[in-house]
Amino acid sequence: MAIIEVEHVVKDYITVVKKPGIHAALKSLLFPEKKTVRAVDDISFTIEPGEIIGYIGPNGAGKSTMIKMLSGILHPTSGEIRVCGISPQQNRKAVVQNLGVVFGQRTQLYWDLQLRESFELLRRIYRVDAKTFRENMEMLQDILGLEDFIGRPVRQLSLGQRMRGDLAAAMLHSPSILFLDEPTIGLDAEAKHAIRNFIREINKARKVTVILTTHDLDDIEKLCSRVIVVNRGKIVEDGPIGAIVNKLTPMRLLEIELKEPASVRPHPAAEIVRHDGLHVSYRFDKNRISASDLIADLSKQLPIRDLSVKDPTIEDALREIYKEKELVSRGA
Amino acid sequence: MLSVLRHYGSVAACYLRLTFQQQLEYPLFLVSWMLMIPIQYFAGIYLLKVIIDHFRHLNGWTYPDLVFIFGLGLLSHGLMVVFFINSWMIGRMVIDGTFDRLLLRPMNVFFQLIASYFNFIGLIDLIPGIIIFLYACSLVGFEWTLPNILKLVLILAGAVLIRAALFVMIGSIAFWTKKNAAVHNFALVILERTTMYPLNLYPYLIQALFTFVIPIGFISFYPASAFLDRDRFVLPFDLAILTPVIGLVFYGLSQLIFNWGLRKYESAGT
Repeated sequence: MAIIEVEHVVKDYITVVKKPGIHAALKSLLFPEKKTVRAVDDISFTIEPGEIIGYIGPNGAGKSTMIKMLSGILHPTSGEIRVCGISPQQNRKAVVQNLGVVFGQRTQLYWDLQLRESFELLRRIYRVDAKTFRENMEMLQDILGLEDFIGRPVRQLSLGQRMRGDLAAAMLHSPSILFLDEPTIGLDAEAKHAIRNFIREINKARKVTVILTTHDLDDIEKLCSRVIVVNRGKIVEDGPIGAIVNKLTPMRLLEIELKEPASVRPHPAAEIVRHDGLHVSYRFDKNRISASDLIADLSKQLPIRDLSVKDPTIEDALREIYKEKELVSRGA
Repeated sequence: MLSVLRHYGSVAACYLRLTFQQQLEYPLFLVSWMLMIPIQYFAGIYLLKVIIDHFRHLNGWTYPDLVFIFGLGLLSHGLMVVFFINSWMIGRMVIDGTFDRLLLRPMNVFFQLIASYFNFIGLIDLIPGIIIFLYACSLVGFEWTLPNILKLVLILAGAVLIRAALFVMIGSIAFWTKKNAAVHNFALVILERTTMYPLNLYPYLIQALFTFVIPIGFISFYPASAFLDRDRFVLPFDLAILTPVIGLVFYGLSQLIFNWGLRKYESAGT
């Protein structure tokens, strides 16, 4: 049975349209011109227990709004949400008892106090009995290496340590679902590795269902069995990571630095995606033309000082998906 | 039922310990409050003295009467600041998103809001309040009989509830507007002006406003008049004893508004 069910969920925000100028500001004060913004537009999906889902999309695509609705902070304008069979709108307390939520940009830990003090508070809030608490602490210490800093005030922790503390705090009450909103944002490579390792471990050992939003392609490649891509409030892609990565990986980026300004022409097998001053970027499909052939062709017409070939970033990858979808819908 | 009480009690005790430790982290901050607050209040009492020296009395209220009103008001202010200070933070928590965290925990939201900050610094507010009130009691010859003490306790409880309710309502405005600082500061000034001076100095309309709409008069003015038994200001009923009742009603109303605002917050979002 599905652990999370989302059916035709819509979320509208009502905002007041602001125009520049004092006259317009006064007018808007007296007669506010209201506009409805649809942040989530008829989204449906189901998630099975034990899945790790990447919920991705550009900024403003409605990711955080969806996380907030799944966890009961916001209520949908219309549509149904059920988490473990319960509606978070109707029975918030029952749903959140079984939920761990981490916002990468904010902490739930007491800033001025030792990390362990926050854990003690959460133990009481979630009514974790002594035995479970001890077992969970041992497991979390093991995976996250908390012992080095559990006795330090949170304000003295590095960002990576703090994030590990926040993950532990979210798991103390043995929730079966974990929502992670950009858990690796701003972290160094080692901290990212530790956090990915943690997510994999709890998923394997405890069958915890994880939904994470991220802009880091590595997070998704290393963790997610399934990816849901959203744009402008709608789902544009929902499937196993392999299929989506395959679709994206043929694209490569060739970045060229010129010795002097020159007239830059497109190549039959590569498209110019950026050109400013002495910097030019070509995007090409490695199945259509090899990097060495492209470089050989271009070096005949351009004074090249330096060059590099890059994998597409997640933003490039996503842009690719959105563009394709738009073409499909326009062509249909 | 008992297990629910035990749950909330255990969380409240933990909050209490954590906020105590938290506030001890910054001892110099504590000291600066200890210096500032008594100066503020003793300056207030000195102002009353100056006024009386010039006018001999205010509408029939003498210096001891005025100090009594002032002292009674300070006591409920101090207690409110100790227990309900977080009702001042709703606006900030809505804007910076910390309010969302309360919704993510399996407990009553209002309980978490209030219990999560027990303000020890508020006790410093209370000390000059107690000194000034005791001083006033000796000036007016307050009789420390059991009925009077009981009355005093009830009145203080009611006054704290009235003050708390007012700030909960103002805090709840943030659920609609996101920003409530202006209303909040306005209320602070109004409270100071109306609980320090006799309400019947003000025009009739304002007296009515602070009796029937926003019952600030019941915080210190009406109870003090009853205690002082002023025949020059006869109350239509024995209004003083109404303070705890009005406190409960006004507080109940603030809970309705808070919950209404919370539903609005959940359906609108930020």
